[in-house]
Order: sequence, then structure tokens, then C-alpha cells
Amino acid sequence: MTARTAACPNCGATIEFRWSGAVQSICPYCKAVLVRRDVDLEKVGTVSDLPPTSSPIQLGTEGRWKNDPFTVVGRIVYAYDRGGWNEWYLRTASGASAWLSDAQGDLAVSTPANDAGPLPAPGELAVGQSYAIDGILFHVASLTRARYAGVEGELPFESWDRHEALFADLDTEGKGAELRFATIDYSDLPPAVYVGTYVELDDLAPRNLRRFEGW
Amino acid sequence: MSAPAVSSLSCPQCGAAITLRTLDQAQSVVCSSCGSILDARDPNLHVLQAFEAKQKFTPQIPLGTRGALKGEKWEVVGYQVRRITIDGTSYYWEEYLLFNPYKGFRYLTQYDGHWNDVQIVKAAPAESINGRQPFVTLYGETFKHFQTATAYTEFVLGEFPWQVRVGDHAVVRDFVAPPRMLSEESTPDETTWSLGTYTPAAQIWKAFSLPGKPLRPRGVYANQPDEYRPVAGSMAKRYLLFAAIIVGLGVLRFVTAARETVFATDSSFFRPGAPADSLAFVTPTFTVKGRTTDLEVTTEAQVDNGWAYFDYALVNEQTGTTYEFGREVSYYYGRDSDGAWSEGSRRDRALLPSVPAGQYFLRVLPEAQVPTDFLEYRIVVRRDVPIVTPYLVCLALLAIPPIFWALRAWGMESARWKESDYAPDDDDDDE
Amino acid sequence: MKHPIYTTFAALLVIMLVAAEARGWTPMRPTEVKNIPRSIRDNPGAYRPHYRSFFGTGRYLRGK
Repeated sequence: MTARTAACPNCGATIEFRWSGAVQSICPYCKAVLVRRDVDLEKVGTVSDLPPTSSPIQLGTEGRWKNDPFTVVGRIVYAYDRGGWNEWYLRTASGASAWLSDAQGDLAVSTPANDAGPLPAPGELAVGQSYAIDGILFHVASLTRARYAGVEGELPFESWDRHEALFADLDTEGKGAELRFATIDYSDLPPAVYVGTYVELDDLAPRNLRRFEGW
Repeated sequence: MSAPAVSSLSCPQCGAAITLRTLDQAQSVVCSSCGSILDARDPNLHVLQAFEAKQKFTPQIPLGTRGALKGEKWEVVGYQVRRITIDGTSYYWEEYLLFNPYKGFRYLTQYDGHWNDVQIVKAAPAESINGRQPFVTLYGETFKHFQTATAYTEFVLGEFPWQVRVGDHAVVRDFVAPPRMLSEESTPDETTWSLGTYTPAAQIWKAFSLPGKPLRPRGVYANQPDEYRPVAGSMAKRYLLFAAIIVGLGVLRFVTAARETVFATDSSFFRPGAPADSLAFVTPTFTVKGRTTDLEVTTEAQVDNGWAYFDYALVNEQTGTTYEFGREVSYYYGRDSDGAWSEGSRRDRALLPSVPAGQYFLRVLPEAQVPTDFLEYRIVVRRDVPIVTPYLVCLALLAIPPIFWALRAWGMESARWKESDYAPDDDDDDE
Repeated sequence: MKHPIYTTFAALLVIMLVAAEARGWTPMRPTEVKNIPRSIRDNPGAYRPHYRSFFGTGRYLRGK
């Protein structure tokens, strides 16, 4: 992964980019939200410090997913009425990307679906509806309205003016070695569809995990 | 190194310091001073529920204790006491929430000294019904329904990754496949499945380096492993092996026995009324050949509503060794209100053990009480006659240990299912 | 080997069974008397049996 450096327009610190394709990046020193406009970086806002997390994953964690080495380059923290979760943005050596969702130690890797077909508008969604995604029949299991609670690192889109997102979680009846699920993300239009698999931390052969005092 | 493992805040109710061990994963935390349940996601820790528990409980594993389970380090971060009430009786058990930042959460449950190591399973098992007992299958294992009950949260300490309140309840369905148990917890919002593995208390004590000795477990727990059934099973197999050998030996004996007649009287008779000494007689000498084996003396007398008694002395002519024995035949019959009846037998069989080869004669002194003046009788002596008794005795003796273990196994299973919804004494679902 | 005690017990029982059967063991225990007088042949009536149960039954006709 080629690393690039640039100077933060807000505080002047040297920022190293883990991924050259980042659209948005957070300066780790002054917490300015920087958006890439052609060659320049523009500060569009500031994020507050994220609360301490007990997630073992951090920016810079490396691992392998389906034999493709990856690096964690960004993070979105979501909060909803029952709690919160992290979505870690991964970039792989082959140039692909994926999202690693991390909720109470439950991990799942999802990638954009190849073939989603026509999707309903957010207001039309209901639990129990079925949709075919990537040739598998999924059923809507839950609808979650979540808030953007924080961002970190590099992301493939601008999230600064986003406050809320609607997610539909879908599951499938198929039994197999891997449990599959799908997510429809209505943060943007058209909605983004992801298909994912639950994993254990060890399945990703992680390196450079967060170290906790005493652990 | 990341931020410290715990982050410190103050309880809005009493000002005591609150430590969060699971950081951003805690949703509720209990103030250890005043017992208020606080919202852990709120920077101000607003109160979710003031202290409402009816009684306090003390965890056997103190909060903050770290231990090693299956080679992984775990820390006790939360503690719950839950209750089910069946037929007016309340049963309480403990649940310990364990945390490892790299592994997530795990639970230990304890009831009556029985411990279980529990993990949440994400896959929902397939459910079926077999007769009146439902069962579920997961990863090829079948779990039988044990109990359905509503569990109430009675007391909490520490922190939890969900919003907990005293009084929370869920419908719990337990399915067992000892040593494992699948439990389903349902609330109107969601259903969660967890898989528990029975763990001996000694292992928990060692894992967390707890002082003293654990409470001795009472009774048999739902998923306590079956100690006796495997033993009973393998012992029954061992018995069948030896039973086959014994039966084989028996068949061999019965097939190869000579059953050789060495002496027989012709049809004879005596007068029962005559003086006793005059009735005594001696048979001619007969030869018993071959190896030392048993000798069968059959006495047949045509008694009709009477008895005859034959006093025998079998004399070895060469050695003078004598076997003395007396045999009786009696036979009575008649009619009464129930029909014809009869009692006794006209024939008697005596089996003398280990009679060596040689020349023998029999001295006989007969005696009888019969309605007639004379009595017909016959005596037959045979050697090498097989009997069933020793084989039956061996089969019976050998059956004792496997029967003992089978009873123990049955006893354990009985005790286990006595605590379930399927206890044999009850007609309905309650215990 | 599983169940060593039981298997040993069973094996011993089988050995005892074979030994008993080879020697013609039966449950009966007749009274064994050695060296009875030769006169039994000549005067069988005079010979008195040695087993106790004989006297217990009371059926023995007290002859001479």
C-alpha cells in the first residue's frame, strides 16, 4: 500500500495517508475533517474526540480476508437507541474494499453486493419483506435508525454533513458454514447494498491490534 | 498502548466513582455504592433505575477478578441474579458476565453448585417436535427440551452491554444434550440463543484462583454430564460377551455329555407294611467307567396319594467310600370345587457330584405310606448327566454389576429429569 | 482394558465353571463315609445311615 503524506491545512502537521483513494480524512492531531478537492485538502469541520473504545481493532490494524491482506484505514461510529457499533473501513492489497462491522465483539465483514435489483424507498421498507441479492433470497430482519456518532481516519465518501442513517438488516435461511446477512444503507441515494459474513477475530489473522493496559 | 482499560466517572445519585471496564461496549452500569443502575452511554450517567432489588447477593467470583478459561484471559465485569418461580417456589441462579477485549463477552452461570460456561450463538437452531417433547438441532447435535419458564432479573452488579433493569423478564426455553445446553431467551424485541457447557466447580475455582472450596453441587443439573450411562453401557457389552461364552460352554456340555446308564432295576416292588430291615437290599455290582463326573440316581415309584422314601448308600466296592443320601417321592391328587388338582411327583432325580470311576453297588432301604399293599418302583443310575444350574448361577452373578450400574445410570437420569417440565409425577408443565 | 475388576471376576467365574463342569460338580451334598464295614453286603438292613436329616424326618421305622 503506497503511503502518501500531506500537510494538514488546519494545524500543519504531517499526515500520512494509508490509502490514496481517500475522499475524507480526519487529522489525527487536530481532529479537523479534511476533504480532498483535487490536489488540495480542505478543512470542512472538526470532530470531537471519540470516547475510549474496547474494540480490539484500530486504525492500522492489518489482517487477511479471503486471502487478501487488508489494512484498516477508517472508522465510522454509529449510535442508536440500544447502543452503538463501529464500522471499520478496510482497503485490501488488491485494491478492493470492505466494511468490518464491530458490535460488542461481534464482527462481520461485508462487501458491496454485485447484483441487488430494484430496492424500495426507505419509507416502503418493512420487516419480513424478501429481496434477492446476489442470487440469494434475504428477508428483512430489522430496521435501525442510527446516528453518526463519530468518524476517524480515511473514508471513501464525505460524511461531515451526515447525521443520521437508516439501515435495513436482512438475513437468510440458508444454512452453511458461514452465516450470511445483507445490509441496505440508506445514508445516500441510491442506497448501498452490502452482503456480509460473520467472522471471529482470529479468522482475520489480525496484526497490530489495539493493546489494552493489563491485557 | 491505548487508553487505560478503565475510565472513571461519578455516580449522579451518590457521587461514588464508577469504573467502566468494557468502555464503549457498556450500556448500563451499576453503582457499587448505592445500587442505582446508570446509563453507561450517557456521559452524565443518568439513572435508569434506582435500587429496587428485594435482597442483595454477593458474587462468588468478585467483580474485576481475572481468570483463564480454555487458555484465554477473562475478567468478571457484570453479575446478575435471576429467578424463576414454579408452583410457588422460587429458584435463584447467578450469571457472571465475562469480558475480554479481543474475544468479546462470555457468561458463567451457577445454580446449586452447578456451573456452566455459556456463549451466545448467532445461528438459530432448527426446531422439531418428537411426540410431546420438542427438540432442537445445532451443528448435528440434538437437544431435548428441558424446561420453559419466565426468568426475572432480581439483582445486578457491574456493567452490561445491554440496558438491564431489576424486574426485566424473558421467556427462557432450555434444551439439553448433556454436557451441553441450548437456551433461548425471548423478549418481545428479540430472541437470543446461547450454548452452555457444564463445567465442574473445581475448574472455575482454579481458573479464577478463588479461595477455599466451591459449594458442593446438589442434585443433578439439566446438562450435567452422564457419568453412569457410558459405564453401564460398556459393562452391559462386557456382560454379553461373557454370557455368550457361558452359554457356548453350556451348549458344548449339553451336546457332549455321555448320559450313560450304568445301572437300572427292572420294574420292582416292595410291600410297605413289611418290617423295615427285611426291605433293605443290595444291588448287583455295576461299573462306572471313564472320568470323574456326576452320577444321576433317578427314583420312580407309582405312588398314588402317598409317599415313598428310599434310603440309599452308594458303595465303592474297592475303596469302601460310600455316598449316603435319601430321596422321597410323593404324589397326591383329587378334585375339589376348582377342579382336579395334583401335588408332588412320582419321580425324583438325585445328582451326586464328582463320582470317580470304579465298581459300585447300591444299598437300598425303601419305605412307603400308600393305600395299596405293594408299590412298584424303578431305580436308574446314569453317569455324566449335564445340569443347567451352574450356568444359570454364573449368568446371574455376572449380571449383578451391570445391573447395579444400569440402576445408577437410571437413577441419575431420573434425578435429572425430575427437575424438568417432564417430571413423571406431574400431569402438566409445572413441576 | 475397560472394567478390569469385572472382567477378572467374570474370567474367574468362567474358569471355576469349566473346572466344576469337568469334574461333574452338582449342588447335592451327599454324606460321604469312608471305610464302611464289609458286612453291609450280607446284612443290608443292619446298616444305619450317617446323615442327620434321616433322623430328623422321623420317618425311619425304628426296626431292630
